[in-house]
Amino acid sequence: MTDQTNTPNAKTVKRTTGAIALAALLAAIFITPVVVDDQFVYHIFITICIFAGLSTAWNIVGGFAGQLSLGHAIFYGIGAYVGIMLTNIGISPWIGMFAGAAIAAAVAAIISYPCFRLHGPFFALSTIALLEVFRVLALHFRDFTGGATGMMIPLNIGWEWMVFRERLPALIIAFGMMCFILAVAWWIRSHRLGFQLVATRERESAARAAGVGTVKVRLFAVAISAALTAMMGTFHGMYLTFIEPESAFSLSFSIQIAMFALIGGLGTVFGPLLGAVLLVPLTEFARGALGAEAIGLHGFVYGAVLVLVVIFVPNGLMGLVGRWFSAREATSGTQAAEVATPEETRTFTPPEPGEEIVRVRNLNKHFGGLHVTNDVSFTLREGEILGLIGPNGAGKTTLFNMISGFLEADSGTVEVKGPDGKWHSPTNPADFATLGVGRTFQIVQPFAAMTVEENIMVGAFHRYPHVDDARAAARRTAEKMGLGPYLHAEASSLTIGGLKRLEVARVMAMEPRVLLLDEVMAGINQSDVRRAIDLMLSIRDEGVSIIAIEHVMQAVMSLSDHVIVLSSGEVIAEGKPRTVVEDPQVIEAYLGKEFTHA
Amino acid sequence: MKLTNVLKMTAAAGAILGAQAAYADVTFGALYPFSGQLALLGEESARGLELAVDEINASGGVQGEQIVLERGDAVDNNQAIGEARRLISREGVKAIFGSYSSSRSIAASQVAELSGIPYFELGAVADEVTGRGLQYLFRVNPTAEDMADTIINMIVDKVAPAAGKAPGDLKIGIIYEDSSYGTSVSGHEQRLGAAAGLNIVTSLAYPASTVDMSSIVLDLKQREIDVVLQTSYQNDSVLFLQQSHEAGFAPLAIIGGGGGYSTQPTADAVGHDIIDGVLNADFTQYVVNKEFTPGIDDFLAAYQEKYGTEPRSGHSLTNYVGAMAVLQSLNEADGFDADTIIEAVSAIDIPEGTTAAGYGVKFGENNQNERARMMGLQWQDGKLVTVYPDDAAAAELRSRN
Amino acid sequence: MDVFLQVVVNGLLLGGLFAITSVGLTLIFGIVKVVNFAHGEFLMIGMYATFLISTKLGLHPYAAVAAVVPLLFVLGMLTQKLLIEPLMSARNHDIQIFATVGLSTALINLALLLFGADIATTPAYGLRTAIEIGPIRMLVGQIVMFGVATALVIGLHFFLQRTRSGRGIRAVAQNRAAAQLMGINVSRVYMITFGLGAACVGLAACLVAPLYPTSPGIGTYFVLTAFVVVVLGGLGSIGGAFLGAMIIGLIDSLSGFYIGSDMREVAVFGVFLLILILRPQGLFGGRLKLSHVS
Repeated sequence: MTDQTNTPNAKTVKRTTGAIALAALLAAIFITPVVVDDQFVYHIFITICIFAGLSTAWNIVGGFAGQLSLGHAIFYGIGAYVGIMLTNIGISPWIGMFAGAAIAAAVAAIISYPCFRLHGPFFALSTIALLEVFRVLALHFRDFTGGATGMMIPLNIGWEWMVFRERLPALIIAFGMMCFILAVAWWIRSHRLGFQLVATRERESAARAAGVGTVKVRLFAVAISAALTAMMGTFHGMYLTFIEPESAFSLSFSIQIAMFALIGGLGTVFGPLLGAVLLVPLTEFARGALGAEAIGLHGFVYGAVLVLVVIFVPNGLMGLVGRWFSAREATSGTQAAEVATPEETRTFTPPEPGEEIVRVRNLNKHFGGLHVTNDVSFTLREGEILGLIGPNGAGKTTLFNMISGFLEADSGTVEVKGPDGKWHSPTNPADFATLGVGRTFQIVQPFAAMTVEENIMVGAFHRYPHVDDARAAARRTAEKMGLGPYLHAEASSLTIGGLKRLEVARVMAMEPRVLLLDEVMAGINQSDVRRAIDLMLSIRDEGVSIIAIEHVMQAVMSLSDHVIVLSSGEVIAEGKPRTVVEDPQVIEAYLGKEFTHA
Repeated sequence: MKLTNVLKMTAAAGAILGAQAAYADVTFGALYPFSGQLALLGEESARGLELAVDEINASGGVQGEQIVLERGDAVDNNQAIGEARRLISREGVKAIFGSYSSSRSIAASQVAELSGIPYFELGAVADEVTGRGLQYLFRVNPTAEDMADTIINMIVDKVAPAAGKAPGDLKIGIIYEDSSYGTSVSGHEQRLGAAAGLNIVTSLAYPASTVDMSSIVLDLKQREIDVVLQTSYQNDSVLFLQQSHEAGFAPLAIIGGGGGYSTQPTADAVGHDIIDGVLNADFTQYVVNKEFTPGIDDFLAAYQEKYGTEPRSGHSLTNYVGAMAVLQSLNEADGFDADTIIEAVSAIDIPEGTTAAGYGVKFGENNQNERARMMGLQWQDGKLVTVYPDDAAAAELRSRN
Repeated sequence: MDVFLQVVVNGLLLGGLFAITSVGLTLIFGIVKVVNFAHGEFLMIGMYATFLISTKLGLHPYAAVAAVVPLLFVLGMLTQKLLIEPLMSARNHDIQIFATVGLSTALINLALLLFGADIATTPAYGLRTAIEIGPIRMLVGQIVMFGVATALVIGLHFFLQRTRSGRGIRAVAQNRAAAQLMGINVSRVYMITFGLGAACVGLAACLVAPLYPTSPGIGTYFVLTAFVVVVLGGLGSIGGAFLGAMIIGLIDSLSGFYIGSDMREVAVFGVFLLILILRPQGLFGGRLKLSHVS
């Protein structure tokens, strides 16, 4: 038990140390140039702020959402162009900044919507292609963009035009914008959106089952990221006083933005800041020291360092920092003993079945020539546990996919009675989740990069939009599932039994009215099976209706109020557990024909 | 990895913060792209400035003070701004010379203007460099407009008579790479060509990185173009000349606008027989009437001595001539105040035919040297020979048949 | 009409160029599943090697095949072994992209360091001679390139379908884990595939070098086009890549002539984006393997 209290303590210490380090770093970025008071040093630090801001904004999409964009210069360029165009017709860049942000966010949402169907390298490639298209268009529409020669701003000095003789105001703006972007990134990562983004990145289908609108949250992320990038673009345009398509829509610039985030630590809030702080001066220095030596030497070293960093520090600098912390933490031991022995088995009294809550009628599904689901119909009542059994390949999981919105049926209907008492026909996982249908997956799908608590919170956010409420709900659920001691452990460190419980916990945190459990007992040991049975009963006692696919017969028999037997896509028997197991057709399906005649 | 980073950081910080160079002499900035893709000609341009400084220092410096050149590497626009700031604030330069690339020049000169430091452009050709009404910016070298002007005049004065046609009867096709350089030169070609009564049939842009220009060649061939004006870098010059040859497209004249048409590797790549007779307009080159360009031999000798090779292009000469004109005028002034420098430079009045580049120096509207001009050149027997205007010509223009 | 015919022929010949430079990428992208941004730089290295061999030794550029193909094969194997394999287990597969971007940057600048920014021209040995067939003109070198591209595609197809090693490669491409269980040395198969992909680029380099000027940045133009071709043809489909190359060649040539050369990239990338969105498995690809629903 002491371990349990120890971990949060270590976490608090870690957090305080981190906060102090961050405050010191930010203060240093602002104070150093002011103290040194040298224009060039100002320029270096302004550049640091610009790149740190851009990389942090990129990281919201590239890191949190895991969508590797190599075309972020599109948004930077839009911000810069809009800002300068408006300045030229007499509108302050402070207004232009928001105009650019709005346009960039809209463009981002429009071009990302189709692209988000693509994963990994395809998304990266399509962003590169889009960047090229934008660059060529900016070159081509000369009347609008000034073509290849670019655009300039009139040198009106003053705050309203963002052009200054001295450097301090520019630093104040750059620093302020960087802090703003960091704050936005931090806010996102520590609130619902961030959890949902990371969950989507780690396991898209599990996130959808947890009621996350995966496309929606990604669109949010990309729009926010684009808007922030565009705002920085407007400022940088005013700082340069001059922009042209080659530099505004540049692939190498996009790669550089992404690279700072990668080297700092992909998906961490402050990694990109760290990356920019270390690399901007280093790049400037290397360029000065090597650039004059020979053409290409500097670029060669730059490329080689990038390769080495990727190979040897793939998790970035924040990964190194994190490893240092976790090395200290390891002594406090996260792997506590198994929780208390299972509660005593209660005597089982089947309650009266209630009203109908799920109606499945005549479902059909074909995969090519294979008829996987043949005219399946059944009904689930409130407070009922419905066991779904059948040999391998009977079509049980396919059926589950259809009654949770992951797969569309060829024909037939699935209806769910909503909390409003009306019948609905949901079509996608999000709708099912909204109606209170939760599901688990046969192959466990933990969000590996998150802690146990955060995993469960992803589910809890479905009911509790606020992070504190969600955390409290997640803790309650974790206690109930016997996951209390592991709250702060990485999900990937759990045993298979633990992962199965985590899978159920995440769904339970959604507080579902209907629970679809896909073989939660497969592959776990005997005592875990007993605990799982108790768990399901206690869940049902809370008024949740359950459909469970199970192979463990002991469990099915002791749990189910009603059993459906599926074979080759057809319902071959249904009824009370006792009657079903004695049905000759069932025995034949499970054991082969000769047994029935024996 | 982390430790080395920290060490390098410390070293970098030390280099930035420490060692404020102690100088008793006068310091000027040399802002060129010394690394990156533009480095080759950036370096070549800077050599001209260095030779001018050496020559001035050898003869006693300006106002008795030796000149120290502080280099700044303008590898991209953001860097150009950073380096301009460094030169001004840390090195305390009295003026900046630069910068070969127009976009770097535009970015850096805005900084100099805001800091009140004179900026002398010796090589960038885009209109926007001087078109912004800056007070502290002066450009000595000829511009994109001068290039187009030379090309159009050469067609009217030389190409059309040699072909036995009236200039207005020639069908002219303009092709250009779509970056700032090609766009601005071709824009002036269209405007000045129309003003001179030429028949410009088509104008086509393409990206300089292309690997295939057959569509363009086909288009020009189909339109029966007589004179092709191309503004291009090396790769696309080679492609166009080769692919026209292979497609059997042989116009009366092909006229390049500097860039790829002025470099020896282009001629070697295309083949001396194929490029023979191709015309070009660019800064003053080295096969020229030396009566018109006094001092060019001394320049070549000094270049050879300092760098051990011949100049790779006319950029060094143009920068040298510009820097000499500015530095000599400063010798007459008293002090290195920005306003003193501007006053001295505004008074420059060097007549044509007295500099190593041939053209004179006098700043006119927008502080542009109104006497600057480009030369008409032709590839003859593997060499780039000056053929236009007549007083600078080293040889007669040959007809391409 | 003659002009239209010539534009089409130019497009097909350009398709031959794209095909021969992209086939290697189909193997690497389609089978090892690595986005190799350094693909274009492999071509650049091959072209410089051909340039050096033919100028220093006075050999016909086609003779350089004997040295360049093995060189690139080894280079490809080393890239897979030293750069990609260590990253295969990384949590985030996207960082492989950064590794190859880094490699690409390093190689471009290395070439800049060694050869300078000027173009290098490989002697043409008559390969630039134009042949006239009716109203159509084409170069000897282009015809050879088209022929070799076709032969290479057919050869690779047979290699993958009929030989033991080829079947091993396809097995790994379809299901890495299952192939491993069947006793296939996946790491070795990946190395060989990457090597083969790079070797194809080496062959391409020897054919391309006498026709196009070589410069450090030449690869960047080809690499994006190659990705377009591979995605268009369908991942890992050799025949698809060939057809994809022909389509892109035609689009390039036709849009260059009828729309304007500065908008060619918009046309090519526009088609690319449309394909990705509407038919991500490629025009000729088999079943979609991009998303994974449990």
